[in-house]
Amino acid sequence: MTHDLNRRGFLAASGAVAGGLAFVSPSALFAQEGGTLRFALSTYPPSFDAWASSGTAAGTIKLLMHRGLLSYDAEGKMRGELAESWEVDDSGAWIFKLRDAKWHDGSPVTAEDIAWNVTEGQKADSAAYFQGQLVQILTVETPDAKTVRMITAEPLAILPGWFAHYNMPMIKKGEPRDTMIGAGPFKLSGQDRGVSLSLVANPDYYKEGLPKLDGIEATVYADENLRVAALEAGDVDLIEYVPWQSMTRIEENPELKLDTRDGPFMYLTFNATRAPFDNPLVRRAVAHAIKREDIVAAAFFERGGPLAHLPIAEQSEFYNPEFANAWDYDPEKAKALLTEAGYPDGFDCTMLSTAQYGMHQSTAEVCQAYLSMIGINAQLDLPEWSSRVQKGNEGSYDLAVMGTTANNNDPAGLSNILDGSLPNSFVRSFGMETPEITEAFARGQAEFDYETRKEIYRGLEETAIETVPIVGLAWRSQGYAMRNSVSGFANMPGQLTFYSGITLEDAMLG
Amino acid sequence: MLRYIAYRSVVALFLVWVVVTAVFLLLHLIPGDPAELLLSQGSIAADPAAVAALREKMGLNAPIWQQYIDHLGGVLTGDLGVSFRDGAPVVEQIAKRLPRTLEVIVTAALIATGIGVPLGTYAAIHANGRADGAISFFASAALSTPVFVVGTVVILIFAQKLKIMPAGGFIPFSEDPVGHIRLLLLPAGTVALSLLAVITRMSRASVLEVLQRDYVRTARAKGLPRKRILRRHVVRNAMIPVLTILGLEMGTLIGGTVLVEFVFNWPGLSGYLVAAVDARDYPEVVGIVMTISILFVFLNLLVDVINAALDPRISLVRR
Repeated sequence: MTHDLNRRGFLAASGAVAGGLAFVSPSALFAQEGGTLRFALSTYPPSFDAWASSGTAAGTIKLLMHRGLLSYDAEGKMRGELAESWEVDDSGAWIFKLRDAKWHDGSPVTAEDIAWNVTEGQKADSAAYFQGQLVQILTVETPDAKTVRMITAEPLAILPGWFAHYNMPMIKKGEPRDTMIGAGPFKLSGQDRGVSLSLVANPDYYKEGLPKLDGIEATVYADENLRVAALEAGDVDLIEYVPWQSMTRIEENPELKLDTRDGPFMYLTFNATRAPFDNPLVRRAVAHAIKREDIVAAAFFERGGPLAHLPIAEQSEFYNPEFANAWDYDPEKAKALLTEAGYPDGFDCTMLSTAQYGMHQSTAEVCQAYLSMIGINAQLDLPEWSSRVQKGNEGSYDLAVMGTTANNNDPAGLSNILDGSLPNSFVRSFGMETPEITEAFARGQAEFDYETRKEIYRGLEETAIETVPIVGLAWRSQGYAMRNSVSGFANMPGQLTFYSGITLEDAMLG
Repeated sequence: MLRYIAYRSVVALFLVWVVVTAVFLLLHLIPGDPAELLLSQGSIAADPAAVAALREKMGLNAPIWQQYIDHLGGVLTGDLGVSFRDGAPVVEQIAKRLPRTLEVIVTAALIATGIGVPLGTYAAIHANGRADGAISFFASAALSTPVFVVGTVVILIFAQKLKIMPAGGFIPFSEDPVGHIRLLLLPAGTVALSLLAVITRMSRASVLEVLQRDYVRTARAKGLPRKRILRRHVVRNAMIPVLTILGLEMGTLIGGTVLVEFVFNWPGLSGYLVAAVDARDYPEVVGIVMTISILFVFLNLLVDVINAALDPRISLVRR
């Protein structure tokens, strides 16, 4: 399905919106005096499938067109969107009360629409990002047009987090999954596939006075250096994925602002189906063998930080300070662990990474150098990304470099990279059984008491430090840069950095 | 001549078939599964059941010969299929992207020929002089500097420092003709620079060679005016190899402007091809490669025909 809009169509749509504006109240007009923000994307969304995970750029565009039941504010606190309140009832079911909101075609958002999203997303072949989670919802009830009741087999504390994710926006019942009809602050008014997207403000958006901009012109600048050049030249107002090597230059430019957050992280995965990495002692040896500061320097130009534990950020309420340096750099300890495991002279192995992304390759090279110091001779395998994904899924490696973010700042979001009961995937260690971790995730997601949950996740991290299902390597800084004239846009904290597109509803120019 | 063109066209079609078949087979040989990739965006774990379902939908579970025959059947009816990624018809996308790449190449060729031929001719006439040395030096420098270096320097100077040109991008001509031309100038100028070096060197060598021909000496002996000798006897004959080189270079550029398109964010065919390969979007890759090979082969044919028109001694009829 294509959504090409020719110039005439674009003008007609713009005219219709402008015409519509003439009839709305003066306060609404005032709120939209923001002009058009020019946003440089790193890539064109490969798909507009509302429920699929299609990368950051697609996520940002979805956050402009669509809204889910919930979201996060700029500080990372969960807030209502299409749902104005949400609570768990005595039977453990989640109840979402909907606010008065309209789809882009003017029809109201109803409980039936929401229920349809859940039942469609949980179908086995839906390929929805949250399909695995949604199947845990046994029944969706709609007692009235504004109430949705979700019943799960066990009470689930983390359920609201699914509905706050940008890969679980709500679309109108019966619409195709890549529909442009959402309930978000902007409407798609035109697109040139692979090149650019034009969005105009939705005058019927349910938040009074928002969005503040008239529209957003999102253009793809795949080359990171050109993205920076375009910002410096004044061709664009805002860029995503600021390359680390350019961050200092942007900070020094009086016309520009840089907003960075440590959120995404690099880590090592193992093939646990064969020796030597089926042995936790060997994995722990690897964890202690690598000096992480060198990765931060080589791959991220000092923009990030060492990560010697599970990727739970220091700012998170679930952070465990006692594990801050659990996998500290200690070559003597690493050698002792290798000897204990029966490899006093080390061994040869292959390390999978990719030459397509510099940060993956540099990280692999630093790891290779440090592993050689304890006798592990890792031969690098650096195919391009798609081959790397396939090899990772098939387990054609001994250890591998990987980089990603978690779903949100709750440790439950880490199950994707840690839980060995999930099917084999390039984002997790291959064939690694983690019964205690699987069980801890299950307990954590069902627990409503904050202190108990904290204790569960502390135990989970303790187990992970011992059994080493992955090795944390480095946090990497994720940056947005903008002209000084841009205000209201914020890079969201920690793992939520890729949700930042949601703050574009508050963005203003001038 | 018509028989010759018909014969060459048949050979060209055979070549295109060979290219399409080779690309189809190679794509299926290299690792990377389009379904798996599509469902693994943003570093997520793709569900094996969903991957299997998508493979079935994409028709990738059929035997490879079946896929090949289906694809060839589509090609013969002018249907290159739809993109695996979003179902966009491949023909439509090529029709949109190809003119943008051709625009850069043709503008670059015009600039390169317009400057390169007079420059090369001047250097040949004043061979071994100071000007010739300077021109040769410039040509060597331009030829040995990679396009991405030229592109990056040009952006640094004109967009980031002087701020008189946009850093890159694309606006359709119908929306803003001036903006369109402004955005076209830097990529076309960058491509033109290396092309200019080739044309200048070729023109110089060719003119130098023709200047030493007997008929030029005869023309001089007859007392013909110098300008007339140059225009009618030297340059015209010297242009045959230049034109051949230009044709070949332009053919190569159709699929080879990828770096320029990347550096200047120009949404042409080459960048489209790279993105398609990355995503293992088989219908897109085969469609684009086929288009490029058809253009390349027929551009060569065109050069032969023009050469014959320039020099009636070149016989088009096979003996």
